[in-house]
Amino acid sequence: MKAAQLIRDYFVKNGLGLGSFLLVAVLFWVVILIVLPQLSMLDFSFRHHLPPPEMGGPKDTYTIEHYKYLVLGAPGADTSYNVVDLGVFGRTLLAAFFVTILDLVLCYPLAYYLGQSRGGGAIRILVLLLIIPYWINEILRAFAFRIIFGESGLINEMMLTMGLISDPVDFIRANVALYAGLGYAYILLMIFPIYNVIESLDRNQIEAARDMGASWWRIHWRVVIPYAKPGISSGCTMVFMLSAGALAAPQILGGPSSLWFTQIIYQWFNTGGNWPRGAAFAVVLLVACIIIVLSMMRLFKVKIGDIGK
Amino acid sequence: MKTNSLLLKVLLGAYLVVFFGYLLGPLIVMSFTAFNSPSFPKLTPWECLTFEWFDVLANDERILNGIENSIIIGIGTVILSVIMGLAGALMLTQIWPKLRATYYTIVIAPILIPGVVLGISTLVFWDRISIMLGMSTGGILHNGIFLTILGQSTFIASYCMLVFIARLQRFDTGLTEAALDLGATHVQAFRKILLPFMKPAIGSAAVLAFLASFENYNTTTFTFGKYPTLTIELAQKVRYGINPSISALAFIIIVLTVIGALAHEIYRRRQQLALANGAPVSAVAGSFQLPKILSGNPAAIILILLTLGGASTIWFAQSYSPDSCKMDVREQKRLIQEERIKAIREKRQLNIQQKQHQGPDVFGGSKSTAPATQSPGKGAFGNVFDPGNLDKSAPAPKPEKPVTSPGKGAFGDVFSPQNLDKAAPKED
Repeated sequence: MKAAQLIRDYFVKNGLGLGSFLLVAVLFWVVILIVLPQLSMLDFSFRHHLPPPEMGGPKDTYTIEHYKYLVLGAPGADTSYNVVDLGVFGRTLLAAFFVTILDLVLCYPLAYYLGQSRGGGAIRILVLLLIIPYWINEILRAFAFRIIFGESGLINEMMLTMGLISDPVDFIRANVALYAGLGYAYILLMIFPIYNVIESLDRNQIEAARDMGASWWRIHWRVVIPYAKPGISSGCTMVFMLSAGALAAPQILGGPSSLWFTQIIYQWFNTGGNWPRGAAFAVVLLVACIIIVLSMMRLFKVKIGDIGK
Repeated sequence: MKTNSLLLKVLLGAYLVVFFGYLLGPLIVMSFTAFNSPSFPKLTPWECLTFEWFDVLANDERILNGIENSIIIGIGTVILSVIMGLAGALMLTQIWPKLRATYYTIVIAPILIPGVVLGISTLVFWDRISIMLGMSTGGILHNGIFLTILGQSTFIASYCMLVFIARLQRFDTGLTEAALDLGATHVQAFRKILLPFMKPAIGSAAVLAFLASFENYNTTTFTFGKYPTLTIELAQKVRYGINPSISALAFIIIVLTVIGALAHEIYRRRQQLALANGAPVSAVAGSFQLPKILSGNPAAIILILLTLGGASTIWFAQSYSPDSCKMDVREQKRLIQEERIKAIREKRQLNIQQKQHQGPDVFGGSKSTAPATQSPGKGAFGNVFDPGNLDKSAPAPKPEKPVTSPGKGAFGDVFSPQNLDKAAPKED
């Protein structure tokens, strides 16, 4: 009853033509582009791997074999758990966490500095300089790191000429290039949320704390950080999700022995040719990311509404 | 206290340098490698200034084709996501309050969902639909452009929506109501009141959407089908073999981005100036007052310098030819290689000498003085037939017979130390 009233109100307010246009656009987006594909992927991940003609046939039943495969490995394998895939999964999440912390540590001082200094041409230029790298293609950014960290890259050549090392260091194998590249790729998503929040912090609060004799770290710990918490958590959420789901940087910068979980998914879809298994792995990645982010939000008491501000 | 603040300033400066070095250094290094001549992109050793990689880039069919696909997909994505984003933002202001939080979570989620997952779900969903409808695999639902536009719009629409929400917060709904009271239809009110108000936001959302679509990799890599975008082509090139033409492309993109950003900054400055003076923007934008704009507007100065630099570079590129430099480098490399070969040959000869030294020693002590006296003479011989001397003489006939340049290797073989050593005892 109430719903009908609401719908009537909606059409009275917007007019029939415009109202239905808005409704169709939103429904198309929410239902056809967001919700149904995710559900269909979930459904697909519980299906057997079948050739197309047999899909929908009698063999097309539900199964959990792909999830089983992720946890237990191929039937008849010599280990009781799928050590390889689970290891990659764990390492991906851990590395994404590490990259997030790295970005936070790097960005917080700059965000504070930019947020607290009053406008001015120099600051505007700094902000511009921050934005420019973000509009360069992700692939090209990873490529730049390969030029720098490669075996005959800039750093190795410089250290060789200076005599610091006698043999080139393999940064790619040591994953230094990968972490640097990932941290670089999403650094702006960390800095801008924090910057936006700190910009609105009343400077008098800091002055007051200083007058009361608080040391600088105490000011940050008790005044600035609690205030900037929505920005920090929103930045951390985005960096974590994007690094865990990154594909380009690991493909280009990852060492030969270290895979990223997304690369395994990619392999199942392309060379592996087992779509349902790839879909199952993607579901696991999605669910794991959501759980981690939600629990972090619960831990730091921030709402999802704060994200994207 | 004073030293303390000085220390703080130094620390801050150092931190800023490190931070921006991290942020901009890779891009600068990459840009410079576009002008270095080695076929693997690197900064050191610097060999020759060259523009050939831009030519290579301009003749790369796959890159050009990728740019074309990217533009088509970008336009489609812009249209779809601006419409959906605007509708989504308007819906947020009207939706039943109890549903609002859920609705917001759903439409903001695509930003947080990994792009890989979005690509997979789009691919799987439309694949199933086409099976359900009994369509063949070549149909529209498997078309790379169609799938990529849908997959990208899923999350790009969320970005657009955020832009629109920010603008809508300053919209006075009283204006629409007044228009409706005065007899305008809903569509008229929408077109004449809301759309003009949203125009700047629509512009920036469109630019944002296009750029996001242009550089997207994670989603596109699952959906592109037979229509690889520029990013896909780049990724394949970077993964399976690099050459500096990619640096050249990066350089072009970086320059375009910088110019775009600076132009935007100048525009915003003018707008602010206009607002401060109380005049409409068009008044300031229309009158050409260069000195005033330049004073206190670093962005404009940088932009002008950049344009000048770009123009002079292009002029320079037309008149400059790196061929002579490249010849030099090749010559140098050849010399270095010869040095190395020489070193190796000497080493080998030394080894042979040592072996011959040891040879007679095995036969007993009575003759032991003979080889000892002989060996200096042999050494002198060796010097005459030293490969280094040969190499010096070898280039001499070379100019006369440039065709037989591979013959140099043959020459070298004839005069190679082994052969010489075989010949030397006979002459003895």
